[in-house]
Amino acid sequence: MEQVVANGVYLGSQYAMIALGLTLIFALMNVLNFAHGQMYVIGGFVTYTFYGQFEVPFLLALLMSCATLAILGALIEKFLFGPVIRRSAREESTMLLAAGIAFLLDAVILLVFGEKQRGVPKIVDGVFNWDFRIIMPYDRMLICGLAILSIGAFIAFMQFSRTGRALRALAQDRTAAQLMGVNVNRYSMIGFALGAMLAGLVGGLLVTITGVNLGMGGPTSIKAFMMVMIGGAGVISGAIAGGFILGMLEAVGLAVLSQYGDITYLVIFIALMIFLAIRPHGLMGKPWG
Amino acid sequence: MIVASRILQFQDVELYYDRVYALRGVTIEVTEGETVALIGANGAGKSSILRAITGLSKIDQGSIYFKGERIDGLEPASIVAMGIAMVPEGRRVFPFMSVKDNLMMGAFTRKGKAEIRRTLDGVLERFPRLKERYRQSAGTLSGGEQQMLVIGRALMTRPRLLLLDEPSLGIAPKLVQDIARSIVRINRDDGVSVLLVEQNSRMALSISHRAFAITTGSVVISGESRDLLNDSRIKAAYLGGSV
Repeated sequence: MEQVVANGVYLGSQYAMIALGLTLIFALMNVLNFAHGQMYVIGGFVTYTFYGQFEVPFLLALLMSCATLAILGALIEKFLFGPVIRRSAREESTMLLAAGIAFLLDAVILLVFGEKQRGVPKIVDGVFNWDFRIIMPYDRMLICGLAILSIGAFIAFMQFSRTGRALRALAQDRTAAQLMGVNVNRYSMIGFALGAMLAGLVGGLLVTITGVNLGMGGPTSIKAFMMVMIGGAGVISGAIAGGFILGMLEAVGLAVLSQYGDITYLVIFIALMIFLAIRPHGLMGKPWG
Repeated sequence: MIVASRILQFQDVELYYDRVYALRGVTIEVTEGETVALIGANGAGKSSILRAITGLSKIDQGSIYFKGERIDGLEPASIVAMGIAMVPEGRRVFPFMSVKDNLMMGAFTRKGKAEIRRTLDGVLERFPRLKERYRQSAGTLSGGEQQMLVIGRALMTRPRLLLLDEPSLGIAPKLVQDIARSIVRINRDDGVSVLLVEQNSRMALSISHRAFAITTGSVVISGESRDLLNDSRIKAAYLGGSV
């Protein structure tokens, strides 16, 4: 039991960060970023390259992942999403663009990093063992701690900084935010960069546990969308709740359902469909206009 | 001609949305320290004038000057920073932010903590209800309180020109008077010029110095508000028997 909860919290902390980035971009720009999973994968490969290959300190490599994705996110917003949103009146345009970017990034990853599964040396050795009730390697605990710390920092940033306030204002009422002097173009770019950076940060954290490969992008995006649907799109608390709920479901599923075969996600998908039929806005979802 | 005492000159402006005219050759001006009302039916183009001034809608012809500087074509963010604040129609608070954070958003383009603090104290003094609700999220306020909040938020930008779009719409009649009174005070005590869009023409004419009546995108009548209150055309078209 304790073990399942611990696994759930560990998974949930990673998932929540992925969902946070996705939901931030959605809330700000009404864009469903299908390329979120690919951004996560790039984050993993950057940390692999710097920490695994060039042997720079792990935290520094993690920062490189963040910086790479922040820049990539900013460029994608400035040159792709921004102009398309300004010129097109149809919402499908950004969805097609997002899907296109996902394919593009997959191709870039293949060219730059190759198709092999990559892993890195453990960041810390040893296993935590509480009387055989909770057994967890120290590196997982460290990664989980770092993830929760990052979530806290992100919330504090959104809540208390001037930029965070502007981003929230922009998400809640675009016109009113403009009338307060918020430059929509600049803050859309900042928000997109921040969302992409979160994806890169999780990628960098998780490469130490699961490694990274080209094929992880799509499934990661799908999981991110599930979390946002559970929690409610565009809401920070919803993304965090969705992340931890999915993490917990997965942990429970692996413990309980694995004896019946690999059906955890099948069960989760069915449950999610029923849930969405009853509560289409998700748990915390408020239809943000 | 650019006149220095004119805080706002809106000259021969044409604006259309998808080839449908919203404004056709509208000219209005606001003198420093004045309250000017724009009256007219729904869809006459009053809100389009305000949107054009703040840059939310791009104009197709004509020009707009603020304190002698041309502002059409600038981004809303720069126009706001120059000293024009707009309270949009429908009380657009940031619903999931506290009253405090809403007000602080008003000071977004400003620098200097002490100065901002002083404006904040002034706003809270003017609208004591906001002080009582300081930590509450704005979405939970009543309609009248939200209207006070958005006016207070606009004052936090420390504007020289305040644009108000239908501040009485959907507000309880008793509160309409309160709102009207605070508009008068903002104009008289703080010396802020006001451009007021209202469907409640009687209220608008009674608190403004001058007024323009707008119909289908054009100015049809203009003059001193107190004269317009007795103008037979205005009476017939905008004042009716009631209100």
